[in-house]
Amino acid sequence: MDRQAEFRRLYEAHRRAVHAYFTGRTGDPDLSADLMQDVFLRVWQHLDKVTDMPDDGQRAWIFTVARNLSIDTGRHQRTQAGTEQALARERAGTAASSAPASVAVIDAERVAIVSDAISRLPEEQRVALTMAAAGSMTSVEIGAAVGVPAGTVRYRLSLARRTLAEALDRYDGHAEES
Amino acid sequence: MSLDDDIAAWAATVRLTDADADAIFQRIVATPVRSATATPSLAPSWWRSFNAGFAARMVASTSPARRAA
Repeated sequence: MDRQAEFRRLYEAHRRAVHAYFTGRTGDPDLSADLMQDVFLRVWQHLDKVTDMPDDGQRAWIFTVARNLSIDTGRHQRTQAGTEQALARERAGTAASSAPASVAVIDAERVAIVSDAISRLPEEQRVALTMAAAGSMTSVEIGAAVGVPAGTVRYRLSLARRTLAEALDRYDGHAEES
Repeated sequence: MSLDDDIAAWAATVRLTDADADAIFQRIVATPVRSATATPSLAPSWWRSFNAGFAARMVASTSPARRAA
């Protein structure tokens, strides 16, 4: 397999997980794309070493790089701004989407509630939830990536889901009142 | 919508699109790979030559002071 094809295989196997990991940490999908690029640039530079590893080792190497990647102050500020912009985009999208009005608006409002609640979660819960939901990863895979037991990941997911459910219950309560 | 549906709908808003992912891939593979150039090693006699040169310069630079004293 040539170098680019080998890199493509690794990239497709891990990019969603890495992007989800950074989205969980920063709350900003655009910044996460930049960080993901930094990680895979290192993979590209060290491809010979990485391809010699077993699959588990490859994932561990990639996430070690991801965990060690510094998120500097400038990027952190962009994160804050990005989170606000992302929420604003979601709300604008809600307003712009015409069609079966009320249902679409309520669905979009619920997504905004979820998004807001996720942004307020403790980072470790937010990372676990984002990797599970956006990265389609199992608890075992998340645990291996972030360096904690799968049981701990399941516990964090459970706490996160409870928080989200409470936020949606409050929203549903208000919706029924009005 | 169930909680899972709500979370899935949110996840769809933050997931990287395939087009964006492909653009990143293309940028990365366009980056030249740093070749692992071996650092040239010093000649075996380098340290001996360095010491000899250093000693000679020390002697040369301190001898006027010794003469003055």
